[in-house]
Amino acid sequence: MPTIFIDGRPVEADEDQTVMQAARAAGIEIPHFCWHPALSVPGNCRICMVEVEGKGTDIACNMPVKAGMKVFTNSEEVVTHRKAILQLTLLNHPVDCGICDKAGECTLQDYHYRYNGEPSVSIDAKVPATKFHELSDRIVLDNERCILCSRCVRFTREVSGSNGLGIEHRADHSLVRSSEDGAFRNDAYSDNVIDLCPVGALLSRRFLYRSRVWYLESTPSVCPGCERGCSINLWHRREDWKLKSVATRENTRIARVTPLENPAVNGPWICNKGRDLADLFERPRAIEARVDGRTTTLETAVAAARRLIASATRPVALVSSWGSNEELEAFTRHLGSRFTSFVKPDHLPLEGEVVEDGLLIRADKNPNGRRARELFGDPAPAFPPGTGVVLCWGEGFDPALLPAGAKLIVVGSFADDATDRADVLLPVSTQLERDGHYTNFEGVITGFTACLPRPPGVADAEALFGLLAAEGAA
Amino acid sequence: MRHLIPEFEDMKKRLPPGENGVLVLPCLKRIQEDRGWVADEDIDGLVEYLGVPRIQVEEVLSFYSMLRRKPIGRFHLQVCHNVSCTMRGAERLIDRLQARLGVAPGQTTADGRFTLSRVECLGSCGTAPVVMVNERYYELQSEPLLELLLEELERS
Amino acid sequence: MTGRKVLMNFEVTPSSHTLEAYLARGGYQALAKALRGMKPGEVTQEIVDSGLQGRGGAAFPAGRKWQVIDPHDGQPHYLVANADEGEPGTFKDRWVLEHSPHTLLESMLIASYALGVRHGFIYIRGEFDLPWRRITAAVEEAYAAGWFGENILGTGFACDVFVFRGAGAYVCGEASSLLSSIEGSRGYPRNRPPRLTVKGLFQRPTVVNNVETLSNLAWIIGNGAAAFKEIGTPKSPGTRLISVSGHIARPGVYEVELGYPWAKFLHDECGGVSCNRDLKAVIPGGISSQVLTSRDAKVLTPHDVETMILDHDALWQAGSSLGSGGMIVIADGTCMVSLLRVMLRFYHHESCGQCTPCRDGMGWLHRIIDRILAGQGRPEDIELMYRISKANDGTTICGLGDAAGYATVAMLDRFRDEFDYCIEHKRSKYDGNLECRPSS
Repeated sequence: MPTIFIDGRPVEADEDQTVMQAARAAGIEIPHFCWHPALSVPGNCRICMVEVEGKGTDIACNMPVKAGMKVFTNSEEVVTHRKAILQLTLLNHPVDCGICDKAGECTLQDYHYRYNGEPSVSIDAKVPATKFHELSDRIVLDNERCILCSRCVRFTREVSGSNGLGIEHRADHSLVRSSEDGAFRNDAYSDNVIDLCPVGALLSRRFLYRSRVWYLESTPSVCPGCERGCSINLWHRREDWKLKSVATRENTRIARVTPLENPAVNGPWICNKGRDLADLFERPRAIEARVDGRTTTLETAVAAARRLIASATRPVALVSSWGSNEELEAFTRHLGSRFTSFVKPDHLPLEGEVVEDGLLIRADKNPNGRRARELFGDPAPAFPPGTGVVLCWGEGFDPALLPAGAKLIVVGSFADDATDRADVLLPVSTQLERDGHYTNFEGVITGFTACLPRPPGVADAEALFGLLAAEGAA
Repeated sequence: MRHLIPEFEDMKKRLPPGENGVLVLPCLKRIQEDRGWVADEDIDGLVEYLGVPRIQVEEVLSFYSMLRRKPIGRFHLQVCHNVSCTMRGAERLIDRLQARLGVAPGQTTADGRFTLSRVECLGSCGTAPVVMVNERYYELQSEPLLELLLEELERS
Repeated sequence: MTGRKVLMNFEVTPSSHTLEAYLARGGYQALAKALRGMKPGEVTQEIVDSGLQGRGGAAFPAGRKWQVIDPHDGQPHYLVANADEGEPGTFKDRWVLEHSPHTLLESMLIASYALGVRHGFIYIRGEFDLPWRRITAAVEEAYAAGWFGENILGTGFACDVFVFRGAGAYVCGEASSLLSSIEGSRGYPRNRPPRLTVKGLFQRPTVVNNVETLSNLAWIIGNGAAAFKEIGTPKSPGTRLISVSGHIARPGVYEVELGYPWAKFLHDECGGVSCNRDLKAVIPGGISSQVLTSRDAKVLTPHDVETMILDHDALWQAGSSLGSGGMIVIADGTCMVSLLRVMLRFYHHESCGQCTPCRDGMGWLHRIIDRILAGQGRPEDIELMYRISKANDGTTICGLGDAAGYATVAMLDRFRDEFDYCIEHKRSKYDGNLECRPSS
């Protein structure tokens, strides 16, 4: 383990590390645009210049550590270089932060204020380039804002493997472009380039002009899109920026989804399906309790369900593979012995969806199938003869398969054929409205936190199972 | 481009095995020599033949100034406007050609016969100024010589 | 005569470039000597001992580059002859390719033997037509005669060569971008480390040498390092092919023994300035080397006794460089502002666009100089041009960005009065003139 000195501070480094990596591991930030820990080192932005005693300046991202080397990240020469480079980086950049979605989390903006802060010294016209260039139906590109760091290009080559992006032409006319064969459109991970972009060049069409980022806050969560269970941040309106009159719907929506780096599960990436979780949660909800087709209170419905369960000859439960560990355990605890239980996939691959790949996407499109199967086994759901009651928890059950004469209790969050057909409907909260954990296919347990209010009249499944079991129902 | 594949296969004989990328530029140059430009279907064919990502071929086509994806005039007049050639009258040659052909650099005459271009150093500085017509150098050019050349090209 | 010759030591005739003519003047004997009588390491040592410096621009000792390669380390090694001659003012490698292609091929075989190279490349710029036809014809002749392929001269040594044509990109003359180009990508230069001799073409150890550098090898192996060191100066042995252009009576390629008096060369051999003008300035080694005024270079008159000699050290000391040997002669009455504009237009056009300082700096410099010549210059623009040039100094991935900056700084330093004049009077002091016109 060679020791190097960064700004006088001794730092232990691995032999194969670069100065950038060693500094970062020691919590020392060297400014960078093109460098990214999960991508190759192109060394093109030149902002990470540091000075090495006796060796002059060079870029830290491509500088191997050498025992005893003395690195200075803020020497006079470094500061001068960095300022000069920033002026060049900004030369053809429109500096339209006022209308840029990236403002507030833009590296260029941050560095400009931190290391330069001077108005442009250029009086010459900026090089015009394409704006609102459609890279895919998900992403637009503002080439004037682009600083050609090539992070997005490298992502499609080194991570997603789509080879969907490239840089065409030369000099200050260079343009990021998508491949003409549509490889980028079909890249199931394409939205990662939006986060990777250090400036506001790559923009999510879903999020375009929807909110200033400082109006939002993030809540850590788990993507329920497949059994990978990627860690994510769900972005929603901050309490102090809640809208009071116009478009108040925005107050209770997921504005955007970004990856939450988790080396054990997803690294720094998520797939596009995870970006679209808002759609999943904004489907029509089941929020009213019903008994025999009539809306009623939750208490009445619980009582009705309890009666059905108590009187049923052979009650069968279809257990959700979208339930949390806590809910699955509560079900086992309170109702497990009363029911013959089968694990049911709540979601199957949709048409056109990537079923499985070598990166993150898994074929089981439910977040907690592993834990559910651990508790309830893995046989295909089958109704034994004489099934009197079916308790369906979650989605994905076709009520046409209900045995003749059996009653249907649905514990669900979203309206579907099963909730329509239910003899008793018990509405429960979604993942956004409660805390919990999922166990992913490799056994990694990750937690999620409530970020939106639970609608009135809706139960949490964990508590509901206890209520259903109360008074000797089990 | 498919009819050129036997030639491409020949090229492989003197190249290190297993490195298909090395053929990208030689194949593109050969395709352009054959068709006069590189068409979308050529790119499709090359991508399939070499097994390289299409974006790589698209990048290469846009990076190198001699490659083009659109047809140009039958005679491509490329006048060097770098240091040694301008020191020996290249700008006068360009003015003359503009007037004579009625097109500006970067344009093609209406009859599709001539395309005029300004280009950077062609390595003919000792015999400046140079005008490259398609693949051939016409060195030590002067206005009268250029006139003769144009007349000859117009006749052909 | 410009001293002793290593390369231009035969009479050029319509057939002197053929294999037959080359063999008749002793060609391929050095290869035989190496293959039959020397170990690879001995060949490399001979090149180290010869003191041969690179002829592409940086004048790095060729042997030192080679010594990094272990020919027996079990991995493929590659050799590339850099024939992408694109530095404006330079056309000397073209002479080798057109008139003595087998010298290059024989030298490449010797180098391949020394470095353990199975596959070599000649990267020739895409625009070259006759040089391309000559070198490919020579390659075919050499293959037919068994100089390439398997079991060369019955020694078991095998080597192939591929002539790779560029497609129009100045930056590909830079060794690492040349390799990117061969690999089938844009010609983007690469960061060092790693050096190309560690990880070059296809991530394997690779030597990239200029055509002229390589072409010296056959002579050095044939005659010995000691004989080579007798030519030239102690620090710069051998000769340089100097290509002279601009306002000069007899432009062309000359082989000059290093140490030859510069004034004598320009005025006697090259015939002096072409239009009875005084000599204003010389760019000694391609436009990326710093311009020298005729007074700096002491080449104003034919027999300036204090003239500088043509030698790497002497030019470095004068604040310039022999560079690529592309000497551009500039007569009095030439507008240096307009000349710099032509240069900056070129650098802007040819910047690969990969790293920030060159990508944005070259375009900016180009726009500023256009504006100055359009009569809209501001006094602070000069300072700004210095700043942009210095922002490229040591900050770019490849050396071309730095060099463009140095060239710009030299023009501003040495002809500052013309820039000031153009800004103050809103017109060029010399009416934007770049051509040589007899003084009135």
